[in-house]
Amino acid sequence: MKEGKLELKSAGPITFGPEGILFIADTKSAAIAAVATDDTKAGSAKPTKVEGINQKIAGLLGSSADQVLIDDMAVNPVSRNTYLAVSRGRGADATPVLIRVKADGTPEVVSLDKVKFSRAELPDAPTDGVVGQGNRQSNPRRESITDIGFLEDRLLIAGLSNEEFGSTLRAIPFPFKTVANGTSVEIYHGAHGRFETRSPVRTFVPFKVGNEPHLLAAYTCTPLVQFPLSQIKPGAKIKGKTIAELGNRNRPLDMIVYQKDGKDYLLLANNSRGIMKISTDQIEQSASIEEPVRDGGKKGLAYETIESWKGIDQLDRLDNQNAMVLRRGEGGALSLESLALP
Amino acid sequence: MIRIFLIFAWAIVARAEITVRWVTSETNKPVVVVSGLSQRVAHEALLVYADQGDLKADMSLPPMLGRYRTEPGRLYFEPRFPLERGVNYRAVFRASPKALAIIASFKLPLESAEPTTVVAHVYPSADVLPENLLKFYVHFSAPMSRGRIYEHIHLLDERGKEVELPFLEIDEELWDGAMKRLTLFIDPGRIKRGVQPLEEIGPALEEGKQFTLMIDEGWRDGAGRALKESFRKTFKVGPPDREPPDPAQWKITVPRAGTREALRVAFPKAMDHALALRMIRVANVEGAAAVEDEEKLWKFVPSTEWRAGSHKLQVQTTIEDLAGNNIGKPFEVDVFETVQRRITNATVEVTFVIRE
Repeated sequence: MKEGKLELKSAGPITFGPEGILFIADTKSAAIAAVATDDTKAGSAKPTKVEGINQKIAGLLGSSADQVLIDDMAVNPVSRNTYLAVSRGRGADATPVLIRVKADGTPEVVSLDKVKFSRAELPDAPTDGVVGQGNRQSNPRRESITDIGFLEDRLLIAGLSNEEFGSTLRAIPFPFKTVANGTSVEIYHGAHGRFETRSPVRTFVPFKVGNEPHLLAAYTCTPLVQFPLSQIKPGAKIKGKTIAELGNRNRPLDMIVYQKDGKDYLLLANNSRGIMKISTDQIEQSASIEEPVRDGGKKGLAYETIESWKGIDQLDRLDNQNAMVLRRGEGGALSLESLALP
Repeated sequence: MIRIFLIFAWAIVARAEITVRWVTSETNKPVVVVSGLSQRVAHEALLVYADQGDLKADMSLPPMLGRYRTEPGRLYFEPRFPLERGVNYRAVFRASPKALAIIASFKLPLESAEPTTVVAHVYPSADVLPENLLKFYVHFSAPMSRGRIYEHIHLLDERGKEVELPFLEIDEELWDGAMKRLTLFIDPGRIKRGVQPLEEIGPALEEGKQFTLMIDEGWRDGAGRALKESFRKTFKVGPPDREPPDPAQWKITVPRAGTREALRVAFPKAMDHALALRMIRVANVEGAAAVEDEEKLWKFVPSTEWRAGSHKLQVQTTIEDLAGNNIGKPFEVDVFETVQRRITNATVEVTFVIRE
């Protein structure tokens, strides 16, 4: 890592790696930045309820809540401090800002003017400006980073293009090495009865089945799938094993895994049905769903819907007993709350 | 020449000699100035707030970020970010924690400009679209704003009733860099055969019926203004298209050597606008491409005169038709039928000859 000023064009999904290192996806630059936050002092989770966090951030940034977008949230697993990726402004000239929420609920800006950081440019990043011949205007293609996650020594990045349908999932070793490192795979959904299609990953979480690292991923077309990370090899075509169909009108937003009473659970935030709690104990044994699921139902792993967790926009694990959530209330007011894991 | 304007200030005078004012220099960045100080004060004596228009919230706001500067008898505060129109900025000065506050407020007036931004075009352009249509591109006449945009996009059936959740709503919102083009995918769960949403609530678009894509004027542009008018595109739905596009079927009209006339490539069916523009090229010839005729025509004008001889049209196989079928690979591969497997070449080539 080098020390200096980290220039971001946008701050999309964020996630923590080891030792207080925060990964920030910068979709506009088609790059990932790893920032040493120096927030490495072990801390314990405190009950939190900050009402109007968007108004407070707007106040800090000298703006109005309407002009502040909170794009992602991540809890530092060491210090238990909450970080927010914020956009000041909603237009093309918006300024990305990294916010840390202090123990008393006050937001502060994390300065990136003099930090230790490294950057990984995403391979085959679209070039700004000129695209081949015949098209001299700026290239409108962009690959949005829909989620990032860190596992052991790798950063996993799910991307979705604004032109071609289909997504890539990349694994980049960390510390970042040279440009164009990492591998990219195409994700397929092979469980639609007999059809197989490209399937963009909406959100995912790294998860160990036995000793083998896996990804649990939610596709944009609603199934929850699982595949071993060892499948992520250059040019591979991966078909996830469908372990649950989450049902209609489900828009998976975010997910975390946790343990309670010796059992593993997956918590999936979703924009219409409250939050879903899924016991992942049987993942290893569960059969792949190969037939379409009918009658509005659920299939595969059993899940329960936690109705009281409504309006969850962002979700992360605070500690073994608690989650941190960003919750949307009446009139668009956002609150940052710690909630006991169900 | 440094001109300093007094813009707007009012003060509850605690000590007659101390004043708090907002001033703007020629850089047009308003600054708070406390003058008449008889002794140095801590920076915390002056705090500036960006009011949120909600008394409860305003009472617990953190102070705004900015830079302090002192001069003999004066304390300056310069906001870190440019001020926003319509926001009430409140500078509060207390010479000591128990002293009466001196307050100066400032507001940049809202611009009263008329809305001008409109939806300039929606691709695909045709008014009959396949049932398994994969996406729309919405082009605006000026940069737009992001955040909760799907509230402004509606798909209406023949009776004007809103189709429930037809689009893939993702928080990242698929904009181009200038924020003038939005990519709107139809929810793939409503297209793919055998997945739950399609099985249960059916396709977003149904063959034989008519639909309207409606964009309401409540959507704000990049300057915060509403759209000038709402937009409607009404179209009929034709049968699903599961045939991969085949460049061998494209009809190439070749210009003569020595001219700069357009090379014309006509497709038997419409192609994806953005991808047709980006993924087709003439090898080793510079020029400008355009996609016309409801995305059934690719036109290419070379920057220098055509040279006689054999030329190659190169097409990336990941180009898509309106239903997301690629060259050599349909959107959905039926694993129980023999289908043409994926072509491994990243491009296919079609040769054409320019004659004297």
